[in-house]
Amino acid sequence: MFITPSKQIIKRRNIDYALLSIIVVLSCIGFLTVISAVSGLSFGQEIIKKYLIAIPLAAAAFIFGWLFNYQIYNEQWKGVYVFILLFLCSLFFAGVVTRGSNSWFKFGFVSIQPSEICRIATILVAAAFLTRSYRSVKEFKTLIFFTLIVAPIFLLIMLQPDFSSLVITAPALMILLYIAGVNIFYFVLLALFIISSCGFLTAWTFIALNPYIIESSGLMYIIWQTGHNLIYILGFCVFVLALCWFVWLILRQFRIYVPSIFLFIVAATLLVGFFSGLVIDRHLKNYQRKRIEAFLEPMSDPKGAGYNVLQARIAMGSGGVLGKGFFSGTQSRLGFIPERHTDFILAVLGEELGLLGTIGVLILYILLLWRTISVAAMSVDRYGYLVCCGIFGIFFTYMAVNFGMLIGFVPVAGIPLPFISYGGSNLVASMWAFGIVESVYRHRLSMV
Amino acid sequence: MKPKLFFNANRLRRLLILVYAAGALIAWQLINIQVVSHKKYMEAAEQNRTQTIYQTAPRGRIFTADNIVIAGNLPSFSLYYIPRNRGVTREYAENLSSDIAQYLPFSKEDISKKINVALKSGKDALLGENVSPPKMFAVSEIRMYYPELYIVEETKRYYPFGSFASHLLGYVGTIDNKFWNTRNVKKDYRLNSKIGKNGIEQRYEGDLKGRDGELILEVDSVGRAKRRIRDNKWRAGSDIYTTLNFSVQQTAQTALNRSLSGKGAVVVLNPKNGAVLALASSPDFDPNIFVPYSDEETPHSQRTEIAEYNLAVQGMYPPASPFKIITAIAAAQTGRLNIEEEINCTGKIHMSGREFKDWKAHGEHIDFMKGMAESCDVYFYNLGTKTGAAHIERIERLFRLGRRTGIDLPFEKSGNIFGPSKRARSKTYWFGGDTLNLSIGQGELLVTPIQMAVFAAALASKGKIWKPYYIERIVSSGGKTTFEAEPYLISQVDLKDGVYDLIWQSLKNVVDNGTGRVAKIKDIDVYGKTGSAQNPHGDDHGWFIAYAAKNGGSPDLALAVLVAHGKGGAGAAAPIAREIIKSYYGIE
Repeated sequence: MFITPSKQIIKRRNIDYALLSIIVVLSCIGFLTVISAVSGLSFGQEIIKKYLIAIPLAAAAFIFGWLFNYQIYNEQWKGVYVFILLFLCSLFFAGVVTRGSNSWFKFGFVSIQPSEICRIATILVAAAFLTRSYRSVKEFKTLIFFTLIVAPIFLLIMLQPDFSSLVITAPALMILLYIAGVNIFYFVLLALFIISSCGFLTAWTFIALNPYIIESSGLMYIIWQTGHNLIYILGFCVFVLALCWFVWLILRQFRIYVPSIFLFIVAATLLVGFFSGLVIDRHLKNYQRKRIEAFLEPMSDPKGAGYNVLQARIAMGSGGVLGKGFFSGTQSRLGFIPERHTDFILAVLGEELGLLGTIGVLILYILLLWRTISVAAMSVDRYGYLVCCGIFGIFFTYMAVNFGMLIGFVPVAGIPLPFISYGGSNLVASMWAFGIVESVYRHRLSMV
Repeated sequence: MKPKLFFNANRLRRLLILVYAAGALIAWQLINIQVVSHKKYMEAAEQNRTQTIYQTAPRGRIFTADNIVIAGNLPSFSLYYIPRNRGVTREYAENLSSDIAQYLPFSKEDISKKINVALKSGKDALLGENVSPPKMFAVSEIRMYYPELYIVEETKRYYPFGSFASHLLGYVGTIDNKFWNTRNVKKDYRLNSKIGKNGIEQRYEGDLKGRDGELILEVDSVGRAKRRIRDNKWRAGSDIYTTLNFSVQQTAQTALNRSLSGKGAVVVLNPKNGAVLALASSPDFDPNIFVPYSDEETPHSQRTEIAEYNLAVQGMYPPASPFKIITAIAAAQTGRLNIEEEINCTGKIHMSGREFKDWKAHGEHIDFMKGMAESCDVYFYNLGTKTGAAHIERIERLFRLGRRTGIDLPFEKSGNIFGPSKRARSKTYWFGGDTLNLSIGQGELLVTPIQMAVFAAALASKGKIWKPYYIERIVSSGGKTTFEAEPYLISQVDLKDGVYDLIWQSLKNVVDNGTGRVAKIKDIDVYGKTGSAQNPHGDDHGWFIAYAAKNGGSPDLALAVLVAHGKGGAGAAAPIAREIIKSYYGIE
């Protein structure tokens, strides 16, 4: 599956050409698609101009990441950490508010999105922390420390608010923790937490969309009441505790002795998840709820929240196998696809280049991720290994969310697809990230 | 090399499996969307992209046998507002609507409301439909200042002779739910499409419709027209040539309208093939009121209370005296008719304790010819009793009275057969009085005017019963004949030698010397029989059935005239028949 170090034929090559060429091909496809996507827009010229400025910057970032020994981030991780915090803090003083979110710097013609760079930097910091604490990585206190370290970053991101950074960084950090060797039990807890918080949230939204289901299904009635009736909420708490106790009893019957503290933790996690779901349900912004609704039933409101997904899917579907050709997609050119040069660029690609284009990009992405993992496996030390895996986590999340959004597996999240979507900051940050991966490759044989 | 304690190959491998699994899932769904459902999404994209403005095709014209257009088309215009890609100020929209309101019979508020909706939704708005040419010329002048206005040339149905053959032609109207489901199989109707609602217009809708024109525009996501993609010209509907004789039909209608009650029906057939030369029912209606220009006022009540009831095929009346021909045929056929036998008519006859009256006392020496000519009921009471009701019913069935003629018109009624076998089937008794009633065509027997016309035609052609038809041929807009009528002989009634001659002789005698004297025309042989159907609710209905031939020739037309509440056949119906025959032969 990947080349393990023992099988590695030692060649004194300084750069992984496979990884580089994948990135170049992806960027070329992306550049052409963006040109095609923006050609009908009134600000299309401006976007292309900005793109052309971003390309040399991105190349510079790549070379910077590649030539710089990545160990420097490990050694200076506190410096990087402070840099992230200051960078994000400065947004509140010098940032520009666009669409209700304070996440841009503006320097005349160019605007910079610091959170793009901070996503990569966060990985660097987290990897550095996990490198340092790898002997105690299975202990709970490491997790606590880890949480304490990333919490300020997340707090600043949420204050902007920058939902997409959250969506990208959190899963990437999870993958990083998993790779670092954190006990599986904590992931089980996390999964339970997510299931109980998101599960109830989704169920409530679903029932709100189809109120008649309460009459026909007793279970649905109970779920609905659990969200809106104090007695049912208390009943649910008792039910969870009883269930855990029951499971503990059964396990004991089979002579599996689980410390009861574990079951308490499980019960507590479920309840905390449930209550946070309850809180989120009460505090969900209207547009966010609309997105969940649109995800559950895109056809319920084809002109409203479901419109974007529906039109993007029509665009992709109408492209067929070979597509309509560059500059000939009617859905994108006539403005049916929203955010066609950023978040929904795949729809444009799917319409104009068809299945060939989308599958091609998908395969290139998978190759990219495979190469990243391979480089991680080649790494000479734990830090390089973790950094590569963190970067893998980020780009895997990008791919999963962006593709998933178009094919209806994930709610609309406003996540671009690096190298394909337009976005100067994103391109620079991505190139820097893979520069670091190349740096890990370059130093795979010695620390020097 | 340094041992790599940090390396956990299993977890790394699982991560890669995760990537491949996600990739496979995404690829599977991509194939689903882009290959499996490609067609569906392609259509959706096409629908998104385009907007179609329809142009109603001219309906096929309808002609009489002498090539006079009785249903044609007039130009008519529709005015659309198509929002364009440019800023439209409120003031501009206001000006536009007030300018249009000057010329169109719609209020300024209505128009500006429509324009606002169009601007908001980006879809086009139909500002006016069926606008007459003079108004549209006025609008086309202001179009110079408002390029968003779009004029679509269409046609609307027009009937040049108003109520001419209105029951046969039918009318057109906006499609309704009932038709929407049954007719819109080819999806070529729209919600505001016009559709034939009765008669030929309904029956031959598929031929008359033609193909609507389409102007296909490319629109952007907010519906603004970007460019014109395709302009499919309409194709006119097929022309229909009827068998109607223009002057005969015209005469029949005017005469009926002028008659005593103004209510009645005329059917004129060609006895040689069953072609309908005229089919009139009064009261009639003007089908033009259903397709007015938008600036013409038509009261709603006028449109809902039309005389759609076609008396010629739906009106059921007792045949009365013309039925005496059947009685005579039955008697002659069974050898019980002695034309020299004379009776004494005292004006009434007694049967099973009841008195059966004649319409007058005809006195002594009534033989067959005189009985027929004067329509003496007592003579036929005797003849009927002598012949027997069963024989009369057999002849009645042979000439298909009380049965549908099969003319291609909706809602044709069958009437009611009367006779002993009919009674036997309904398990009731036949009385002697019933025989008397049957012999003079009263009682439960009910026929429609078209059945009587077919009967007259059968007498004229010596037994040939043709299925009446009124469509001669259908010619497509490309000039190809798609349908050609073939006369259909339903049956041939063969009688004993000399029976038809005897009937002809007696019917000629009716017109020459008897009750039908009014219908006598110089140089034309007219054979006819009057009748007065007793009506317990009011004045009697007047019948006259006849056929006519040039001196010595074979009959050219057969007809039946019914004037409801016309008091009598001789006074009300026979004059109409005379006018019709005269107009057929072109006699002033």
